[in-house]
Amino acid sequence: MEKVSVIIDGKTVEAVKDQCVLDVARENGIYIPSLCYNPEVKSSGGACRVCLVEAHQGGRMRLVTSCNYPVRKGLEIKTDTPFVHKIRKGVLELLMARVPDSDVIAAMAAKEGLTETRFRKDEGELNRYKCISCALCTNVCAEVVGVSAISMEDRGADKKPATPYHKPSDVCIGCGACVYVCPTGAITMKEKGDVRRIWAKDFKMICCSVCSTPYIPEAQVDWIVKTTGKDRSFFDKCPDHR
Amino acid sequence: MIDVSKVDEIINRYDKSEESLLAILQDFQREFYYVPEEGMRRLSEVMTVPQSKIYAMGTFYKALSLTPRGKHTVKVCTGTACHLKGATQILETLERELKVKRNSTTADGEYTIECVNCVGACAMAPVTVVDEDYYGQTRASKVMDVVKKYK
Amino acid sequence: MSAITSIEQLGKYREQVAASAKTDLPTVMVCFGTGCQANGARPVAEAFSKVIAEQGLKLDVNIGIKTTGCHGYCENGPLVALKPQGILYLKVKPEDVAEIVEKTIKGGQVVERLIYKDKTTEQTIAQYQEIPFYKYQHRIALRNIGAIDPTNIDDYILAGGYAGLAKALKMEPDAIISEVERSGLRGRGGGGFPTGTKWRSCVAVGSDTRYVICNGDEGDPGAFMDRSVMEGDPHAVIEGMIIGAIAVGAHKGYIYVRDEYPLAVKNLRTAIAAAHDKGLLGENILGSGFAFDLKISRGGGAFVCGESSALMRSVEGNVGEPRAKYIRSVEKGLYDEPTVLNNVETWANVPEIMVKGADWYASLGTKGSKGTKVFSLVGKVNNTGLVEVPMGISVRELVEKIGGGILGGKKFKAVQTGGPSGGCIPERLSDLPVDFDSLTEAGSMMGSGGIIVMDEETCMVDVAKYFTNFLVGESCGKCTPCRDGLPRMLDILTGITEGKGKEEDIAALEELCEVISWGALCGLGTSAPNPVLSTIKYFRNEYDAHIKDKKCPAGVCKALITYSIDAEACTGCTLCAKKCPQSCISGERKKAHVIDASKCIKCGVCKDVCNFNAVRIA
Repeated sequence: MEKVSVIIDGKTVEAVKDQCVLDVARENGIYIPSLCYNPEVKSSGGACRVCLVEAHQGGRMRLVTSCNYPVRKGLEIKTDTPFVHKIRKGVLELLMARVPDSDVIAAMAAKEGLTETRFRKDEGELNRYKCISCALCTNVCAEVVGVSAISMEDRGADKKPATPYHKPSDVCIGCGACVYVCPTGAITMKEKGDVRRIWAKDFKMICCSVCSTPYIPEAQVDWIVKTTGKDRSFFDKCPDHR
Repeated sequence: MIDVSKVDEIINRYDKSEESLLAILQDFQREFYYVPEEGMRRLSEVMTVPQSKIYAMGTFYKALSLTPRGKHTVKVCTGTACHLKGATQILETLERELKVKRNSTTADGEYTIECVNCVGACAMAPVTVVDEDYYGQTRASKVMDVVKKYK
Repeated sequence: MSAITSIEQLGKYREQVAASAKTDLPTVMVCFGTGCQANGARPVAEAFSKVIAEQGLKLDVNIGIKTTGCHGYCENGPLVALKPQGILYLKVKPEDVAEIVEKTIKGGQVVERLIYKDKTTEQTIAQYQEIPFYKYQHRIALRNIGAIDPTNIDDYILAGGYAGLAKALKMEPDAIISEVERSGLRGRGGGGFPTGTKWRSCVAVGSDTRYVICNGDEGDPGAFMDRSVMEGDPHAVIEGMIIGAIAVGAHKGYIYVRDEYPLAVKNLRTAIAAAHDKGLLGENILGSGFAFDLKISRGGGAFVCGESSALMRSVEGNVGEPRAKYIRSVEKGLYDEPTVLNNVETWANVPEIMVKGADWYASLGTKGSKGTKVFSLVGKVNNTGLVEVPMGISVRELVEKIGGGILGGKKFKAVQTGGPSGGCIPERLSDLPVDFDSLTEAGSMMGSGGIIVMDEETCMVDVAKYFTNFLVGESCGKCTPCRDGLPRMLDILTGITEGKGKEEDIAALEELCEVISWGALCGLGTSAPNPVLSTIKYFRNEYDAHIKDKKCPAGVCKALITYSIDAEACTGCTLCAKKCPQSCISGERKKAHVIDASKCIKCGVCKDVCNFNAVRIA
């Protein structure tokens, strides 16, 4: 792994060539907000634009998304300039207008001193239900889980994750990875007894043979067994009692 | 009901590669006046591509419609030249006279009125395309005469 | 059809075609571009065949007929050009054909009523090359269009086609790239990136697989240059791409054509098949051992697919979302392989550069912008259509000399260049030379070459609203600034046009523009502020009139105007009253009519039907 030296907020640090600026910042205790990026999901990032920072290279300055900008020799990053904050605030103000009910966005905005938005809020028929269309859910479903039960439907401001025709999916395994990665908690997953409901479909859960707690959908176990060849009996007990 | 053999016939016109997905969806559109759910399912099966991916494409590309379009499609070009030369009046006339909103179909299923972003005949603005026929220098006061010819 | 298996054989084949071509044969060329077909070119062509047969003249013995690509002068179609007389007839109807055959083809005389007439001076011109619209053009990309049958590869070969390829096959790939670099050719799709440099960067990336792609998405509304080239001279694009493929070492190429251009797809398909038959595409091009093949990829109604990385996703079989990562497509493009993507017009120039040389190309145009550019001159101008002129011509010359001035004698206000990514140049700056750098400096951009001419009846706030609305519908939705910022920019602009504008609106617009231009993921977003910012810059007074005075000086914004009838001009013909959908016009026959403003929905029908110009907008 080739190492490079880069300057971030005036500090010279060591990084791995092509590592993303966000990871380098985090390793060095520098805060950059982020929503749509998850290091476990390679196809994620570059969408929400809250992680924009100044990249100075070859005499030019550009604003780049730190979650997917690769560090190379000669790069200087500035995460804390008035301009970075101005644009970040602008992006957050738009997100506040899009999802006025989101606590996560409100908190991130408050950090920039922003408590309200001038712009029209997406409400009523245009309610986005906390979804910022970052596509982390669809990316994790396709890339990590491998079933592609959901995809981003439509385009523009109406772009949102959905199952085909909004009907219960033939391939969803009820694993809840999408719920887990969603930065704003926009996806609903409910459990009642040993049934989990997500994306308008009911999933029967397996109950732990030790504590009787329903903990994993059968469909998810089917999928894991199918794709990894793991023995089914492994899932008789929940992780706490294995 | 959709003729499934026709679906397969269309799929078989092309290579079994994902590069053919959009072209197949468009051929469905031309054949059935929309992209039927059965078509998308069959395509997903034959190409071993997730249904969700085909659904995303079907909803992203505005040349495609997931709901049946009217017998006749009236496309009003809303490109810049056409906009400057009166496309808005033409669109409003059609909406008013046919009692239909743009990008939707009349109640009797006869006409679908669509806005299209430039058909490339800008020197003849404003342009209206009914089915495959192009009409240049359309006038708001005359457009209904043109459209009624197609009933 | 047997394949041509060597460069020498190609030369011989060309000679063969020339020998049997009967180039002295009087020929009728009927324009079959989309525009003329819309105006009825097919019945005209059929009438010619019929009349010629009836007259006992034999086709290909006494006379030839050709259906050609777009002559560019679309508003005046159906266009019929006659060889060898060099005459152009305009707005030809099937009923006119017998007279043309009798009077012109047999009798050598001009049919006066069908030739060009200057709208101001009333001067008539029969000679194609003397008509101002054509006189000042220098056609390179459009060199064959209107003179050849685009569905006949022999026509292309006879006109010198594939000689560029023959030359390239004898050169080292590096030498081909150097030639293109020296020519100074810059991308004609809008970016203006030096073509040779792009090809060289692609070669610098190590890989066994490379691709060349033609961007035929032509999404800018108001632009139809690429349509004409793809329809009217598809082989020029194909030949250019084969040369490019040899230069960069690609063996597969794609031509991405927007869905709205069915004739272009058809003619390209015919051309690719014909090129295959002749051994100009395939496993062993002209016996050289070089393999290259082309596939057509159709768009699906998405402007964002004109953006290179989105286009490549679309070709692969995906939604057209631009790539979020910072990797250039010359390094990792289609299927993550090094890819050269160029515009239709860029490719069409390449064969001529090979044949005539880089020095020749660089002798045209300006210091920073070599060669010629095809512009679509449309809007409120007398002569609308496609023109190809050397770079450096001024906006004013384009509008007045070639365009023949403003329609209806109205006042020239501005031109919009660069489509939704561009801006406006006001009339007072119209002596500016049209080239990449000067337009960018002025706050607009060359873009793909669409020049929309605007007059005193164009509302610049409405123009900004129009482009923003367009982009809202075309945003892919991936990034926050474009997806959520543009609709709010539209809200503010709409409010201004509806008389609800507030003092703070301009500042809010400018702030939004800054967030969007710096924060957006792709060119659609980053350039979206241009139409808004340039109209604010040059037409601030119009914005102020809307916001402060609640007035629309151009008479466009419905909420701010009133329709009325000029009692002096009105003849009382009652036509408007009959057509009014609100039945809100009253008046007796032969007496001045009156519009009831309280019921008027400002639909414009009365103004449209009035033959006496009596309807006023204030």
